[in-house]
This record gives sequence, C-alpha cells and structure tokens, in this order.
Amino acid sequence: MSLITVRLTVNGRQTERAVSPRRSLADFLREDLELTGTHVGCEHGVCGACTVLVDGRTARSCLLFAAQLEGAAVTTVEGLTPAEGLSPLQTAFHECHALQCGFCTPGMLAAAHELLAENPTPTRDEIRDAIGGNLCMCTGYVNIVRAIELAGARIRGAR
Amino acid sequence: MTRWVGTSVPRKEDARLTTGRGLFLDDVGRPGLLHAAMLRSPHAHARIVAIDTTEAARLPGVHAVITGADAAASTAPIRPLIPTPVPLHDWCLAVDRVRYAGEPVAAVAAVDRATAEDALERIHVEYEPLPAVVDPETAIRPDAPLLYPDLGTNVLWHDVLSYGDVAGAFARADGVLAERFEIQRYASTPLETFGAIAEYDAGLDGYTFWTNDQRPGLTLGILAESLRVPQARLRLISPDVGGAFGNKRRPAYLLASALLARRARRPVKYLEDRIENLTALMHACNGVMDLELAYRKDGTVLALRVRDIADEGKNLVSPTQHNLIKLGNLVNGYRIGAVSYEAYSVLTTKCPSGANRGIGKPFMCFAVERAMALLARRLDVDPAELRLRNYVGPGDMPYTTPPGAQYDSGDYPATLRRALERFDYTTWREEQARGRRAGRLLGIGIATSVEPAGTNLASYELITGRRAASGSAEAAMVRMEPDGQVRASIGDPASGQGYETVIAQIVADELGLAPAHVHVERGFDSATTPWLYLSGNYSNKFSVTDVGAVIGAARKVRDKLLRIAAHRLEAAVPDLELADGEARVLGLPGRGLSFRELARTAYADVLGLPPGEEPGLEARHAHQNPLAQPVGPDRRVRSQLVFSNAAHCCLVEIDRRTGQVKILKHVVVHDCGRELNPAIVEGMVHGSTVHGLGAALLEEFRYDEGGQLLTATFMDYLKPTALDVPDIEVDHLEHPSPFTPLGAKGVGEGGAIPGPAAVANAVEDALAPFGVVVRSLPVTSERVWRWLRDAPPAP
Repeated sequence: MSLITVRLTVNGRQTERAVSPRRSLADFLREDLELTGTHVGCEHGVCGACTVLVDGRTARSCLLFAAQLEGAAVTTVEGLTPAEGLSPLQTAFHECHALQCGFCTPGMLAAAHELLAENPTPTRDEIRDAIGGNLCMCTGYVNIVRAIELAGARIRGAR
Repeated sequence: MTRWVGTSVPRKEDARLTTGRGLFLDDVGRPGLLHAAMLRSPHAHARIVAIDTTEAARLPGVHAVITGADAAASTAPIRPLIPTPVPLHDWCLAVDRVRYAGEPVAAVAAVDRATAEDALERIHVEYEPLPAVVDPETAIRPDAPLLYPDLGTNVLWHDVLSYGDVAGAFARADGVLAERFEIQRYASTPLETFGAIAEYDAGLDGYTFWTNDQRPGLTLGILAESLRVPQARLRLISPDVGGAFGNKRRPAYLLASALLARRARRPVKYLEDRIENLTALMHACNGVMDLELAYRKDGTVLALRVRDIADEGKNLVSPTQHNLIKLGNLVNGYRIGAVSYEAYSVLTTKCPSGANRGIGKPFMCFAVERAMALLARRLDVDPAELRLRNYVGPGDMPYTTPPGAQYDSGDYPATLRRALERFDYTTWREEQARGRRAGRLLGIGIATSVEPAGTNLASYELITGRRAASGSAEAAMVRMEPDGQVRASIGDPASGQGYETVIAQIVADELGLAPAHVHVERGFDSATTPWLYLSGNYSNKFSVTDVGAVIGAARKVRDKLLRIAAHRLEAAVPDLELADGEARVLGLPGRGLSFRELARTAYADVLGLPPGEEPGLEARHAHQNPLAQPVGPDRRVRSQLVFSNAAHCCLVEIDRRTGQVKILKHVVVHDCGRELNPAIVEGMVHGSTVHGLGAALLEEFRYDEGGQLLTATFMDYLKPTALDVPDIEVDHLEHPSPFTPLGAKGVGEGGAIPGPAAVANAVEDALAPFGVVVRSLPVTSERVWRWLRDAPPAP
C-alpha cells in the first residue's frame, strides 16, 4: 500500500508524516505520535472515548483517517493540559470526582471544552446534551455534569 | 491527630487520568511488539472439519499463526473455577467443535493489527454446522442438541436446596402469588476492552503478561497449569484498568497470546475490539425464574419457592455461580422463614455467561421485588407499607437467613423511610393520581435490596461435593522507604475504585502521616505485590478483606517503628505516639524523631536498631475474613459475608404515543456502613445505579434462533448516555459492620442490584390502568408501545 504524506498541526506543533491510507486518526495519534491520552473504546463512532478537537470542533478520531487531515489543527488531551498543573476543567473533574477508571475522561474533556468555549453558562440539560455522545460506564454522569458546571462558573469568574 | 478515613480526600489517581498520562494496557509498549487478531466462528454450533492457515502464514508481516490443534498439542486444558461433573476439556482456541458464534478458532500475530486482520481473511475453515440451542428451557429437554455429547446433557447442575418448613408454610398460607420472570443478557461493558500482552523469555523459559485481568491470583494458576510452567517463572502485571465490573477475565486470551509469543519469539499484544467484546467476552447470565410466594392476608410473607434456570452459554470457567450466588439475597431484606431453591445451570450455544456487577443477584432482586409489587397490588396495600411489614428489623441484627446468609447490620425500615422522604413519596402519589386523571402516565417504583460483599468459595462444595478453595482473603504490603515516606500495594488491581487514595487514607491513619506521603502502587505485579489464589478485584470484597490486609501490614510497620523509636528515644512504647510523620514522647514536647530518621536507622544505621530487631521497615499481611466458614451439615452456608442495603424510589413518565419511558427522578438511600471516602462511595452508587437503569431501559444481547447475536455493536446494543438517565439523588445511612476492620461494607453493586426492579415497578405502576405486568426487561419504547397498543381501551 502506498503511503500518503500528511502535514497537520497537533497540539500546536507542525507535524509531517507518511501514513498508510487506512491509518485512523486515533491510531496515528496513539502509535505514530505516541499521544496515548486519546483512548479507543469502540472504533465505530459511538462511545466518544477517542474524541479530539479538529479545528476547535469535537471529532471522533476513530472515524477519521489521518490522511484526511491535511492542514488541520488537532488538539488532544495532552494539548488541553497546561505545562504545569491542571486546566480549570481538569481541576473541576478532580474536585467533583467526575472520573473513576478515567478511560472516558480525555474524550469527555474535549466535549466539555467545546461546550464551554461556545457557551460558558450552560444549563444542566445543555451539559447533558453536549456529552450525550460520550459514554461513561463508571460515573452515571452525575459528577461529570457537576464538574462541567463548576468549571464553567470558574471560567466565567476569571473573565 | 488528623483522621483521614471517613473524609473525601480527592483522588491521587486523577492527576494522571485527567491529563492523558495514565497507562492502560494499549499504552504499554514492548520492543518488537507484535499484534494479534483472532479468527472467530461464524456459526453458533459446528464441527470443525478442516483449517488451512498456509496462505495466512505466507502474508508479509505475519509472524505466527496458531489453531486449536496447536493449543491442544502444546497446552493443558484450562482449569475451571468450578469443576463440571464430567471433566470437559477446553483450550484457548476451539478444538474440533465451536459452541458459540464468536468463539476463537485461530489466532495470528503480525507487525500490526491491520496486517493480522488481513491474515485472518486468508485462513480457510471448513465447518459442518450443527443445530444451535439458544433457549435454556429447550436446552434442558432430553432431545436437545448437546454441546458436549460426553456429558449426556446440557445441564451442569440441577439440585433443590430447601431450608425450613416450606410445605408447611405454603399449607398455612392465606394465598400464593405465582409468577414467572425472565432476565435478559446484558453487560456492564467497561469502556476499555479486555486483553493482554504476552512475552516469552526463551532463556528463562518463562512468561511475563501485562493484562487488565481482574483476578490475577486465579489466572496465574491457570496459566501455569496450561503452559506447564512453574508459577515462579510467570509474572503478571496490571496497569491502569479502564473499568472491569466482573467482565475482565478470559485466561484463554492470555494463553493464545503466550503461544503466539513463544512461536514468534516476540512479545504479542491482543486487545479485543468492541464487537469481539460484545460478542464473545461475557454476558450477564440470562434466565427464567418461577417464583411462588406464600403469604398471609395481612401481607406477611411466609415462604418462597423458586425454580431458577440459569443460561450459562458456553461458560466452562464458572458455571453454576449464577445459581449459587443467589443464596446471598434469595430472601432479600425480608423475614421469610422458609425457602426452597431449585437450580438449573444450563449450557447453550451462546457467548459464555460470566461475572457482571452483582452476578445473578440483580435477577434475584428483580424477581422478589417484582413479586412484592404484585402482592401489594393484590392485597391493596401500599408497596412501601408491605415491605415495612416484612423487613428484618434493626433489632434482629445479626440475622441469619434460611440459606445461612448472615445480615450483619443495617436498618432496612429506616432506609426505606428515608428514601420515601427524600423522594417526597406522598406528594408524588398525589401528583400521580392527578396526572392519571389528566391522561399522564406517571409511575412510582420502589425496590429495596441487600448487597452482599465478599465471596466464600467454600460454598461451591454444595455443587461439587468437595472443597477446592474456600474463604475470603486478600494480601497487602506496606513499606516505609528509607526517606520516611510509604509505599503500599495490594493483590487487588483497581479498575476505577480509587484504591490508591483509599489505601493511602487507611495507611495514613495507622502510621500517623499524610496520605500525600503514602504512595500506593498502580495495579498489580505478581513479582512484587503480595497475592493469594483468592486475590483480585471481585465480589465487592474491598471492605471485607482488603482493608484488613492493609491495616494488618501497616500495624506491623507501626509496631516496628515504635520499637525502634522507643530504643532510640530511651522511652517505653506506650509512652510514644506516631503523628505528623514523627514518633513523639507523649507529654514531652520537642522530644521525638522523624520517620525519616527512624527509617535511616532501619535501613542504613542498623547498629542503632534494638537488639535482635530485623533491619528494614516492610511488612506483608493477609487478612482472612472470619465470617467465612465451611458449609454446614444442613447445607446452610455463608456464601457471602457482609451486607449493605439500599432503597430506590424511581419516578417514570411514559409517552403514550411512543412508549418511551423517561425517568424523571431516581432517589437512592444507601447504607454501606462506615464510608471510607464518602465522595468515592457516592460516585460508586451513581455509577452502579446507572448500570441497573441501563439494564432496565435499553440493554439486551438478543440472539436469533440460529444463535447469531443481533446486538453486537453499540449501535444496536444501547448503553445509557447522559441524556437517558437523571441526576441520581443519593443519601446515606451509616450502620457499620461489626465484622469488618473499619466497619465498612460493600458498595460497588448496591445500585446495579435493585435498579432494574425499581424501574420495572415504576413502569408497571404507570401502566396499572392497562393491566400490564412487567415480567422481563428491558422496557424499551417498542415493548411499552406494544403493551399500550394491545391493551383494552383505556378506562
């Protein structure tokens, strides 16, 4: 199989790689770039564990091919993490006990990040809607909703 | 002195898990790592006539291909946890015959997963299809197709366990309620799938496994036997585990990976994809239960007669557990004096049944709580009132049920009363009546439960007639390092329960330092973690055994610290206290030594130790819960050991046009004794409850008559999303167990057990005007819509 060269920005860093046409973005991130914070839960676009931001919008990295992303800017959980400490969303997840096994967390953070960027004052229903495409098998979602609500309030307060 | 146990210390695990720095199985790399894929049977039941792997083996990038013949030639059969009446040999890949659609037939190791999957398409298998047997009641019949002709039947266990004067109670009763209930196959489906890396060291003739297996103790025994390697040359390591819920165990996959690794002389990783996970890992056992309940007209339940058919699929690892485990909650929280339990454990040509949050107990609770709801309606008594008339009272504790379970503590009536209050039961009953007049279909469901914790493996003697393993125990290690900080580990690999935090809290209290200075090892490593055959993450057992193991090890270190401090400070041990990271002489401010200084003595300046004291500050301890006892002469047994309890109140509204069930409100009052970390407890109650709600509303592994799974993706097998479930409201009572070291009880299963019953009772209550009886789950929109369509015209 011939390889395709793709140039994209991942977490702010310019990257150029030759990839197999069938390489998914999830595998590209995890295996070629060793960004293992992005998790793969179902590989058919339902569970949301592999959610990343592509040009600021959430996307399922298991349903995209790396070769599709010429010129795109991809942000993963590694890119959402400050050099020191935790982001307000990560802090709120920690304080609200919004994770148990933590496997869904990177995808949840991406979904929550997109929501709060657009709507810093979401209602609980809007939060549930925003994470409605991300499965969590551990928490029953209650504390995730609380964490996103808390992070929204803090981000507003900081502005 | 600060006490950490009982406070919501924020989790230590979160720093890595919120930043993508966890280490899950698929994140583990090894030099030269190959990736495996498995060829799986398309038939539910077939004879394997021939397998040709030549073409697959020739594909560039493929390093090894194995089939059942290789497994049979180079490994011993997989030892079952519970032996079958006639030994049934099972290998990691199907030999001669497949017995469910999805059973592994061959495996390939290649440079990457995609190449391995390409190779699967080049393996040619000739099958001779055999008739499938999908329904467990059909499987029982003498003319049913047999999975194992040598066994002569599909029934692995049939017995009647009878306790108390059942016939007499039925004769004395004013009435008998008889119903048939069914439970579907569903699973907790951890978000990370199951798998392993196997690495073969040809020089040592040994293996190392990285796996998210939940029961390393049991699995290591199987690996050693099947691979014919001494246990000392096996090492098993668990990294972070992305949820488990009982599902994560399949020694066959570790064995297949090991064979591939040995053949390829390179490490091999096998990780299920989601379809493999849903098709072939394990499902909660489906079943059929005929239940008769003898009652007096005042609502007192006198006796229970149960006939329970458990559909094990092709489960040879732990068959019969789905029957036996129901002894723990057969009478739920009620004072029912006599019970008869007839068990069938049946093989069918379906995915193996296996451990899934609560194992069998959600079905038992479903049947009893459905029966209580039906009895309340028959007697025209409020369903809450009926339960209050029948509960084991707080003054009865500890209370022994007819099969021998000992309810250790709790106040069941107070738990329900608190739930009714939190739910605002009276108001909602009024609202329901008002709504009904206006055409709204509101329903209120109550379900209450006991939640057993800790398994006593001696109970399997009831089935096998002999004792292979028994009791309930776990092992732990605590080591004060030379810098005065502490490291701890335990034989129970966590899968989201926050053990690193909770164990740090316990150790911090025992030794007198902050949890921040206690590092608890991630996961498990058989080379460094103390472990037993009984070790593992199962059976809600943390509070029953693990806490005791940690405390035992910490106290050994504490005692030694005190002896060293006494010697160094020229004081007597009783005059010392350990607090804030130092040993102090009581009443003499300023006279003390830091842990760092004491550790320096223990590890470096050993001439400063008391005479005869062994250098070092490390201790191991295994805790055996004393409640576990052998089976009694009357076949009574404590199959499980301590009992939490819960009351759920669920409010649903049904859309008349679509049949959709919407949960408007769900209140849980839970009592797991002393809460070691209340935030973690509350999180577990939320999550566990949603497992119950998912099973009630959405989830079903549905098979066609030919044994093909029809719901093999998350598009068809629906999990609850944030939009399907409400904000679960939780409140707690706290009746500590007198039989666990800190008074804590189980917490992981308390929502999953009564959740399905609560929803079913609410739906039936909403549909009361239509005379609907909910006998099975899930109550999908389609089913409710059909009930509404087929009902006589609404009154």
